[in-house]
Amino acid sequence: MTQSSTGRTFRQITSVLIANRGEIAERIIRSCRSRDIRTVAIYSDADAHMPFVAAADEAVRLGASNAESYLAGSAIIETAVALGVDAVHPGYGFLSENPDFAAEVEKAGVIFIGPSARVIEQMGRKDRARHIAERAGVPVTPQYAPDSVPADAWPVLVKAAAGGGGKGMHIATDLAELEQALQTAAREAKTAFGDDTLLIEKYVPQGRHIEVQVFGDSYGNVVHLFERDCSVQRRHQKVIEEAPAMGLSPAVRDTILSAAVALCREVGYTNAGTVEFLVDGDDAWFLEMNTRLQVEHPVTEEITGVDLVDWQLRVASGEALPMGQEQIRVQGHAIEVRVYSEDPYRDFLPQTGVVRQLHWPAMNARIESGISAGIHVGTAFDPMLAKVIVHGDNREEAIAAMIHALDETAILGVVTNVGFVRRLLASTSFRDGHIHTSWLDSRPEAAFAVPQCPDLVLAEAARVLTVLVANPLPSDGWRLAGPAHAPRLRLHADGEDARWVEVPTTASAAVFSHSDGVRVWLAYEGQNWLVSATDGMRRDTQVSQGGPDVLAPMPGLVLLIDVTDGQEVAVGDRLGVMEAMKMELALTAPITGRVTVRVAEGAQVSMGHLLFDIEPRDD
Amino acid sequence: MKRLVAELHEKLAHVRLGGSEAARDKHVGRGKLLVRDRIDHLLDPGSPFLEVAPLAAFDMYGGQVPSAGIVTGIGYVQGRACMIVANDATVKGGTYYPMTVKKHLRAQTIAQENRLPCLYLVDSGGAFLPMQDEVFPDREHFGRIFFNQAQMSAQGIPQIASVMGSCTAGGAYVPAMSDESVIVKDQGTIFLGGPPLVKAATGEIVTAEELGGGLVHATKSGVVDHLADDDEHALEIVRSIVGTLREPVDSDIEAAGVLPPREEPETIYDVVPTDTRTPYDVRDVISRIVDDSRLHEFKPLYGETLVCGFAHIWGQPVAIVANNGILFSESSLKGAHFIELANQRGVPLVFLQNITGFMVGKEYENGGIAKDGAKLVTAVASSVVPKYTVVIGGSFGAGNYGMCGRAYDPRFLWMWPNARISVMGGEQAASVLATVRGDFDSPEAEEEFKAPIREKYEIEGSPYYSTARLWDDGVIDPIDTRRILGMALSLSAHEPARDPKFGVFRL
Repeated sequence: MTQSSTGRTFRQITSVLIANRGEIAERIIRSCRSRDIRTVAIYSDADAHMPFVAAADEAVRLGASNAESYLAGSAIIETAVALGVDAVHPGYGFLSENPDFAAEVEKAGVIFIGPSARVIEQMGRKDRARHIAERAGVPVTPQYAPDSVPADAWPVLVKAAAGGGGKGMHIATDLAELEQALQTAAREAKTAFGDDTLLIEKYVPQGRHIEVQVFGDSYGNVVHLFERDCSVQRRHQKVIEEAPAMGLSPAVRDTILSAAVALCREVGYTNAGTVEFLVDGDDAWFLEMNTRLQVEHPVTEEITGVDLVDWQLRVASGEALPMGQEQIRVQGHAIEVRVYSEDPYRDFLPQTGVVRQLHWPAMNARIESGISAGIHVGTAFDPMLAKVIVHGDNREEAIAAMIHALDETAILGVVTNVGFVRRLLASTSFRDGHIHTSWLDSRPEAAFAVPQCPDLVLAEAARVLTVLVANPLPSDGWRLAGPAHAPRLRLHADGEDARWVEVPTTASAAVFSHSDGVRVWLAYEGQNWLVSATDGMRRDTQVSQGGPDVLAPMPGLVLLIDVTDGQEVAVGDRLGVMEAMKMELALTAPITGRVTVRVAEGAQVSMGHLLFDIEPRDD
Repeated sequence: MKRLVAELHEKLAHVRLGGSEAARDKHVGRGKLLVRDRIDHLLDPGSPFLEVAPLAAFDMYGGQVPSAGIVTGIGYVQGRACMIVANDATVKGGTYYPMTVKKHLRAQTIAQENRLPCLYLVDSGGAFLPMQDEVFPDREHFGRIFFNQAQMSAQGIPQIASVMGSCTAGGAYVPAMSDESVIVKDQGTIFLGGPPLVKAATGEIVTAEELGGGLVHATKSGVVDHLADDDEHALEIVRSIVGTLREPVDSDIEAAGVLPPREEPETIYDVVPTDTRTPYDVRDVISRIVDDSRLHEFKPLYGETLVCGFAHIWGQPVAIVANNGILFSESSLKGAHFIELANQRGVPLVFLQNITGFMVGKEYENGGIAKDGAKLVTAVASSVVPKYTVVIGGSFGAGNYGMCGRAYDPRFLWMWPNARISVMGGEQAASVLATVRGDFDSPEAEEEFKAPIREKYEIEGSPYYSTARLWDDGVIDPIDTRRILGMALSLSAHEPARDPKFGVFRL
């Protein structure tokens, strides 16, 4: 610990423990490495083979579950102390906005890379943050008491005062719905945050989510690094983020940038933070502040050229901000796409699987990935696998670059949203910027129409699957008595009908593939497909004997009768049980209809004895 | 030559259609696949299909029976070479004409010699009754089909049948005598006597389906083992059955390192003059067939009218014997020596036949050309290595014997479209017969006598006359020679070598 000339404390950081996982852990390691800072990763059993564990200089297994690892504050601090690390970087999520954790870290003599515990605490609660914002002169949305929502204020938004990330958020269009929403939200908030305090605010259905990146140091300097537009969301989960926000009026931009800085000054904010606003036309309202590095920080880095993690490390060690406000400039346009393991065409259901092959764009894209080929994507964590970031001279170029980057992206083996997002990016709605936070939830048709497996994808699958004749003669379908019969395969994409596909002789450069010999995982324009050779043997050749009579299949004892005379039975229903040769045998209905019992329980019957008959029903 | 090849392809295109348009429409209308489509479905993607005698029965039976109503050939199923024998029900209901029987038996012979699993796609009304005397009673007639099935099954050569239509009377034994069989539901029928015969014999009135439909045989009689929904399903089941067969030893032929001929394949058409009397160097043909155009020639300076040498075709060693003129004593001795050599080394023989015969004349007869020719014939007949013959020009007289004609059991015998085959040339035959008869009143009368003889030889010497009667396994496009030989050779590549033992050579 040294005293700087200004009298402030300067604490050199030579090692950092990263209390996080996945892509952000790798991101932090990268910036640490460029400053020659030793990195320590912690991990849970599920993550033992993740690339971030290998990337860190040292890695410590903390426990089996999340609770025992990334959320185990005291164990993390103990590890930090035991290994003698100088600082803890919390990343985002997990303990990053937990004031107690921040306080405990500092108490243990380790630097917490982020704002002070006090500021985290204040900003962590939406109600308190709102008061501070009001004090700083920052515009806030109108707020109501449960019983006094004005008639013209509907719909309203219910949210948890202690919450974040969309949890406990509900929209109510009338009083009845509000009551319902309050109950549900309170329950959710209690479970998620241990605090059921709720806020009721004006709901802006077509608002844009625009946030300002801010940075403060311990010398009272506060700067903003301009805004990001994160309006493309589904159920409050961001999907596409860009910087700067397009079509923002200078007045609104000025309002939010200066409001964000004012808010930070008001609380004495240090390190990286994000101030979120809801923007609707010329109106902008403060939403909340995130006292950590955001997932989408790379778009800001791309347009400003600043390494935000590097700044975090400098500021945490007591350095002043490396740049003043006037030195920070916007250069071009950046877009980030979050790659989720989810199926957009099945209600965004989280997907699991083994990453069988991984291909990222070779050029003109920045990849923040937490995965590698061979890893198992489970359900234990957030389904975000990676982020793809591009930069262009303007928005149009950035969109084109992103589409190209996603075309070159293939995560084979796990269903992802890449193909879906690629279609969003190519849509005119997105290009024209008519995007608001409910846009995706309104399910724009062009993006949600379930795509059919394109012919060239099937053709590539056929090429990959074709087992060529095992001899040196060419497998070109040559015929002595006529033109060659082009090799064909019967294939089907998952969930689609089988088709005959001619086997092409050359590989498609646009399609990525991986095969285990039976199935082929393919990606084309970001969309994943699983194609299999159709097994013509697998047919439901049900030989229905069709007869209305159920006869004893062997001599034996009628053990049980399940049905009564006149009862309606369907094909396959159990009618009774026979015992013969020490085996029990279920007697099932061969057809659908009305059954008549022709035998009594306990009867000894010979083979072929009539047991039941069924009067067929036509339908 | 190109004109002759175009003519061949025209003929093939015609027979490929099968029966009349009406018959085909009716067949397809029942949800059935046409016979060649069945084969395409059955084979592995990209598998070649070495069809055997597609022009069988050509110009016979009033030209009404294309391909003799049966498609036979070798293709790969589950990576394994199989002999496929498939009835064409659009041709006279798939009934067996004499040539149909001959072709079926020929396919079985090929299968037996090369140990190929037999896949029978049955869709036939049985013997063609009006010609029953030519298809039923003799040694090489209908009954031989089932004899062969039993024999091959006993030798461990799998016999698999898929009943895709009628399978009546004797035909019923094809599935019944198979190791494993499939039937298509509501389409395939098997019975010894059809409903009309049953009615005539016992008065019982019964439908074909009740008598011997798929369901009956799959659930009651046990005549078949698998019930399929339709043609495609049945073929898939056959493929699956082949997949359960024990693999023959994997091909140790390696694609890597196989060098193509140095000459452009198309130039093979320019090498051979259309007029069989024009001489050319057969080495120009060989260099367009063998790997790297490389021939290790044996005795190149001795008996020059017969070119002998070792080479490779698709990486497989071959011993080539090719005519380059009339056979003399020296060339016969050289040939016999070389054939012995090939047997000693276990290298398959390929004969490229273009022969007008052995040299005749006092000098040669006195010099013992008959015994030297006999040595060549003995060597050919006693050979234990697989033999393959391609008639690339003339095939006349005893030259046919010395160069491994049909009677010498080559594994396969193919003809180029320019080939000619007869005991002697038409002109020679006419002259000989005219001399024997003698006493012509005038040269015109002699000419009148000779003309029909020449014409008869002209017709009967045609490769199409030959292939129609199964004297060969097909007329082939010369450009395919390398590929066809390569495929045929690969079928025998795993046979254990046998010790050669030759008959007495008259020294």
